[in-house]
Amino acid sequence: MSTLIAIQHVTKRFPGVVALDDVSFDVDGGELHAIVGENGAGKSTLMKILAGVIPDFEGQLVLRGQPVRFAGTRDAEEEGISIIHQELNLVEDLSSSANIFLGREKRTRLGFLDDRAMERAAGTLLADLECEVHPRQLVRELRVGDQQLVEIAKALSLETEILIMDEPTSALTESEVARLFRVIARLRQRGVTILYISHKMDEVFRLADRITVLRDGKLVRTLPRTATTPREVTHLMVGREIESVHLGQGRQAGDVVVEVQSLSLPWTGHARAWRLRDISFQLRRGEIVGIAGLMGAGRTELLECLFGSSPEPPRGRILLDGRPVSFRHPAEALAAGIGLVTEDRKRLGLFAQMTVGENITMCTLRQASRGGLINRRSENRMADGVVSQLSVRTAGIGTAITSLSGGNQQKTIIGRWLLTKPKVLLLDDPTRGVDVGAKAELYRLMDRLCREGLGILVTSSELPELLTVCDRILVLCEGRLTGEFLRAEATEQGIMEAATMRGGSAA
Amino acid sequence: MLLAIVVVLVATTLFDSQHTYLRNPRPSAVDILRQTSMLGIFAIGSAIVIIAGGIDLSSGSMITFSGTICASLMMLMAPEAMTRNQPLGTWVIVVACTAAIFSGFLVGSLHAWLITVVGLPPFVATLATLVGLRSLSRALVAYVNKGSTQIPIFDVGFRYLATSVWIPAVLCIVLAVLFWLVMSRTVVGRHLYALGGNENAAKLSGIRTDRLKWLAYCISAMLSAVAGILHVAEVAVIEPETLGKGYELNAIAASVVGGCSLQGGVGTISGTILGALFLRVVMDGVAKIIKSSADVYEGLIVGGVVVLAVAFTQLRQAGRRGKRFFAGALGVVSIVNLALAAGVLAMLFGQKSDLGGWTWGGIVSGVSLAVLALVRFLEGRERPAKP
Repeated sequence: MSTLIAIQHVTKRFPGVVALDDVSFDVDGGELHAIVGENGAGKSTLMKILAGVIPDFEGQLVLRGQPVRFAGTRDAEEEGISIIHQELNLVEDLSSSANIFLGREKRTRLGFLDDRAMERAAGTLLADLECEVHPRQLVRELRVGDQQLVEIAKALSLETEILIMDEPTSALTESEVARLFRVIARLRQRGVTILYISHKMDEVFRLADRITVLRDGKLVRTLPRTATTPREVTHLMVGREIESVHLGQGRQAGDVVVEVQSLSLPWTGHARAWRLRDISFQLRRGEIVGIAGLMGAGRTELLECLFGSSPEPPRGRILLDGRPVSFRHPAEALAAGIGLVTEDRKRLGLFAQMTVGENITMCTLRQASRGGLINRRSENRMADGVVSQLSVRTAGIGTAITSLSGGNQQKTIIGRWLLTKPKVLLLDDPTRGVDVGAKAELYRLMDRLCREGLGILVTSSELPELLTVCDRILVLCEGRLTGEFLRAEATEQGIMEAATMRGGSAA
Repeated sequence: MLLAIVVVLVATTLFDSQHTYLRNPRPSAVDILRQTSMLGIFAIGSAIVIIAGGIDLSSGSMITFSGTICASLMMLMAPEAMTRNQPLGTWVIVVACTAAIFSGFLVGSLHAWLITVVGLPPFVATLATLVGLRSLSRALVAYVNKGSTQIPIFDVGFRYLATSVWIPAVLCIVLAVLFWLVMSRTVVGRHLYALGGNENAAKLSGIRTDRLKWLAYCISAMLSAVAGILHVAEVAVIEPETLGKGYELNAIAASVVGGCSLQGGVGTISGTILGALFLRVVMDGVAKIIKSSADVYEGLIVGGVVVLAVAFTQLRQAGRRGKRFFAGALGVVSIVNLALAAGVLAMLFGQKSDLGGWTWGGIVSGVSLAVLALVRFLEGRERPAKP
């Protein structure tokens, strides 16, 4: 096989970070090349450079022996490179056919849109991908797996030769994953070269011809699949043996602090009608309960119900310390002793224009003030306390929050909530975008807080994480509670089965 | 910013053929001070709303509305005195002014209700009151003053509010210090910055964002109401058709020039006051140099200054990355556009010179065209062409 793309000495700097550091490797025509690495290793940045999303970088790309430089995705598409982002890039209020031909609409001789021709072409493309979606159906109404196939159909309509897939299975059910793999096999028969980003070893070893490992923006090695093992690749990714963390030994659960009784959350105007349906469980002091489930299973919504920030008021009963509560605003939940560390740090947690200290004291500023006037000294004492207690690595509380790493930003936000002296802490995917070392630190922190008598409810998209930190794991699937596992009896296999129970049947 | 203000002052002194600043420093200073104070008072409100992540387009109309309420109440409470130009009782003035400021509270509350409860975007809600309040003011004046389009107020005591420069100036300084304290030293101020910086995160941190918005829009409308009273006192008549027209943009311009980001979460009160001063100094300078009334060129200046101030940071960053400004078809149109604009300006400014406006316009237009075309050519060469 011959070299199709050569990536030569590519370096990309963002303010304060080197995202890619002198990366060079070749991709052969027709191969499936997996790019693996931890969060923040630079996988996505590299793919965005290849697809023209990031136009300026150092180094060069050589495509079919010609150096190329893309000013935008259009240029890349003309050269036959398409990318399917992890967060899909579709216009939700347009039909799947309109999405497939977006920007390259077919027109009639009079210059009007030729919907009929587009729908016919879209129908053929989708049928080819085993996707039973009507071309006229709005993307908003499709399941994630089908939306992804619409994106793939769009790429195929562009006569893509090189398809980049960024963690394509992260939101799919098992049957959808199987379908995606069949689609990938078919694409390869047509000679499409695929760059496949993932950190799931089983997928990579099932699909890839060669594997390139990135760590901290540097290329570690490119290996043929047949010459390596998952163990070796994991080792290369992490750069050290993962210490198996032994947490939660000898924790003692106390009284019930939160009790949820047949909680339901309506979903007005949606085919499913309920975001959450008939959920009941208990959380005790000194206990960590995990919530597992695929994307869209209702993990975040469940936490929002407990915190008074759900899009609609929930039905059913929530008891806090035995007393029924119904929060209509997060301020009420805060006053009652509940804290929520949100999933999307950038959008829902951080105040990017503010300093580390200001971010820490956001919820408890009133305690550091007299008659509304802030006392700078007691505010600083408050913030310094958190920084040293959680060992946040920062130059000082006066530095900009954006200069901190993901893990340290997360600690800042957890610290913000600890200052409110909560009884219950809700953590929504707290280790997302956090590097391995910081993850272990967050696990230890959760363990410590739990031993101090806090009740913790935590969600995660990574099962091993829940298995490490939780005493119990609840499994959600499409808004229903489909499983509950004690720590001793929980396995990844069992949880995944519960999480995909209704995967194939529901529309 | 201070430097820019000094530069403009010096330039005005040099280019003004009558050297007004040197000959008559006191009246000039008083004039600028009064104008800046009047603008500063409601620019503070505008800045607070912008920092909180919103926008208040209604301040110009709020100025008129407050003046209308004030004058109408005077008319209703003391019709005799108003028509015969006799002095009004102190209590009449106090009640009228209090009511005018209270009307600001009501308008601010209406904005907050439309935005937080009904769910309108701030732009739409305050655009509606921008057009609505002026119209309402005209109707009210016609109703109160039997079909007339204005209500004159001659009471010397009331007029003293603005004829003495000290009252607007001291009021502006007191309000500026007060709100500077609120924004930088209080919990409410910090929460307003948080609201503007990241509304979702603010709400999820247990901050009552809806109440903060109510506060911000009320502050803005009430400060406009105060400015409205001063404006009426200055011109001694309320004429809703013209008073305060377009002032909302001056206020927003002062905030933006003073460093507020329209995305919210960024900005200071002190910057806004300096921004207001800068705008007034430039307006006054241009009026002095070309010897025509300031308001003719007001819009042009506000527009230009805002674009330059905001573009300044953008351009510096973009220039470093080697961005092309005149590429493609839009680039060609923009070159012609800018050259024409330069020509028209030269024509206006050069109309009294020996060469005559048209000649000046032609020369400047031609030169700009040539220069910009050269820039386009150089831009195209610096970057390697796409392979």
